[in-house]
Amino acid sequence: MLIFTLRRLNLFIFTIFLLTVLSFSLAFLFPGDALVNISGQVSANQEVLAELAQSYGKDQSIFNQYVIYVGKVFSGDFGVSMISDLPLLDVISTLLPATVELSLVALLIAMVLGIPIGFIAAIRHRKNSDNIILSIAMIGYSVPVFWVGLMAIQLFSIELSMFPSAGQISPVYEIERQYGILLIDILLSDSNYKWQAFSDATSHLILPAAVIALAPATIFIRLARTAMLEVLETPYIRAAKAKGLSFAQVVYSHAIRNALIMIVRHIGLQFANLITIAMITEVIFSWPGIGRWLIESIYQRDYTAIQIGLLVLSSFIFIVHILSDFLYAALNPLARGKKYGS
Amino acid sequence: MNLFDIRNLSISLKSNDTDILAVDRVSLAMKEGEVRGLVGESGSGKSLLAQAIMGVLDPKWSVTADRFHWRGQDLMNLSPHERKAIIAKDVAMIFQEPMLSLDPTTTIGEQVEEAIDPASLEGNFWQRRKARKSEAIRLLHKVGIKHHEICTSSYPHELTEAICQRVMIAIALAKSPILLIADEPTAAMESRNQGQIFRLLASLNQLKSMSILLISHDLENVTHWTNTITVMYSGQFVEAGTTKQIFKSPLHPYTRALVDSSPAANIELPPKSRLKALPGSIPILQHLPIGCRLGPRCPKAQRKCVTAPKAKNYHGHVVSCHFNMKESGKV
Ligand SMILES: Nc1ncnc2c1ncn2[C@@H]1O[C@H](COP(=O)(O)OP(=O)(O)O)[C@@H](O)[C@H]1O
Ligand code: SF4
Ligand SMILES: [Mg+2]
Repeated sequence: MLIFTLRRLNLFIFTIFLLTVLSFSLAFLFPGDALVNISGQVSANQEVLAELAQSYGKDQSIFNQYVIYVGKVFSGDFGVSMISDLPLLDVISTLLPATVELSLVALLIAMVLGIPIGFIAAIRHRKNSDNIILSIAMIGYSVPVFWVGLMAIQLFSIELSMFPSAGQISPVYEIERQYGILLIDILLSDSNYKWQAFSDATSHLILPAAVIALAPATIFIRLARTAMLEVLETPYIRAAKAKGLSFAQVVYSHAIRNALIMIVRHIGLQFANLITIAMITEVIFSWPGIGRWLIESIYQRDYTAIQIGLLVLSSFIFIVHILSDFLYAALNPLARGKKYGS
Repeated sequence: MNLFDIRNLSISLKSNDTDILAVDRVSLAMKEGEVRGLVGESGSGKSLLAQAIMGVLDPKWSVTADRFHWRGQDLMNLSPHERKAIIAKDVAMIFQEPMLSLDPTTTIGEQVEEAIDPASLEGNFWQRRKARKSEAIRLLHKVGIKHHEICTSSYPHELTEAICQRVMIAIALAKSPILLIADEPTAAMESRNQGQIFRLLASLNQLKSMSILLISHDLENVTHWTNTITVMYSGQFVEAGTTKQIFKSPLHPYTRALVDSSPAANIELPPKSRLKALPGSIPILQHLPIGCRLGPRCPKAQRKCVTAPKAKNYHGHVVSCHFNMKESGKV
């Protein structure tokens, strides 16, 4: 397990290195002055610019400039937005938690729905229910997310008035900000309207999360189905059957765990995919998250914001990836390495 | 008394347009307490046959037979479910690849305990749990695993093939089977470990009067441990008889070649000279010859061989060849 952790740590450091190199070089690749791009100071006079050049080490080698940049990023100096002139650290720390909340809930919905359905399809292999599930999964995967989002708003918000169509929570509730994850903040707050606020926030969350979860859920259906089919053909399942266990017992005590392990491997990859969908969905549902903000920044050519926003978002994806790797190792004894020789 | 008696068992693979007959009307019978070898090259359908008897084949295979008697009871007119229940109660099987036959994510201890029949345990929940644990340890001791603490908390990949095979045998013994089907129990094992496993099986056969169907691709490997032998080739029945009959006076050209190619039969040969084996290799399922499937490789094949030969019985020595040694002796 120690070796496993060290290896992940290694990968983590290397990836962060690559991401910062990319983000650093974007300042040079974007049009305009690299110093302005990296700091976001569009309207600075000569004096301020000279100071900035000093602080970003412009007179030093490119390597030293990179080191200074990384130092600034890790100490929280992200520069300011070219458009609003606000410190990007503040902007991101208000927006990121909303995206974390939305995307993790969506991932949870996708897995909780997709995996059991995939298992059922595999167990009913070549039967009608298997074919029906597969076709639905195919359709669910093929429809574009903005269409789904708009249809969901049309149906559930406008026609049925079941869920609100925009925002994270109704403005009447004032919730003190602690972690930024709204649902947690609400639970921690001592407001008299705690439970009303909680149910209001939940009803704001469900629709966009479900829209995001749709395509990943269909992928989890197919992943789970393939994994279960593969596991059901393994010698150990045959041997378990030969022990005299019933099919239900075999599935319950051997197949599910092994199939889950195979699925957990894919969570990291699917999560990157999910974040892309979440960015579009944030725009549709006016969700105050980093995805919507990043898309706006791209429209407004706020290079400083794009640069740091990409870095933060990809680091978040990568952290989820690493966490899923640890989950994989926790579930799979083979990944943890050998305990005894023989 | 016959332990089981199977006549003309066929196994076919349902593929797109045609059915592939992987096992073609093979008969197999065993007496109580006997150790029978089931021998044939890799790919001759031994594992399929064994799994069909156990009832654990994937649904893509379809199995038919003319007769399936188990200890005098006719299993043919029972539902697959009832048949499986009867077989699962009294027949245990150990598989070709012991490590792959154990769940990689469950500890050995749990896997052994799981095989113990809950009905054999008494008392309340806690007592039964303890009884189950000690029964598992007893089983592991019985198959010669001394350090049961290490073993029960291990995962299969942390153990050697030979230990895994012992664990598989322990699991098989959990239900005190009347018949143990051992599918190549020593494949991929060093010869020292092979001997240990065979000795373990032999001792189980003597003490418990447990019958064993010992499957192997190597005739010589098993002759020492068996009373009787059945030979298969490419899914067809070849020859069956006592070990002595098969080894001393094989009637079928295929058996003859197997015996001739074994080192023991070639003691007098000068070193490094070629063993007498049949040329060619076993046909794949998609290109099976019609009639006697040995035809393309058989030194005695003639036109008649395009029809499958019928099994002939010479005082308990059964052979399936148009031109077997007895026949050709007469002509
Ligand atoms: N799961 C499978 N799918 C397709 N063909 C198979 C499968 N298992 C075995 N076969 C084929 O069936 C034939 C008999 O296999 P098997 O019973 O494993 O032979 P043996 O145990 O005698 O080596 C072989 O030709 C093999 O290729
Ligand atoms: S039946 Fe013909 S082909 Fe088959 S083993 Fe006998 S002689 Fe050879
Ligand atoms: Mg085999």
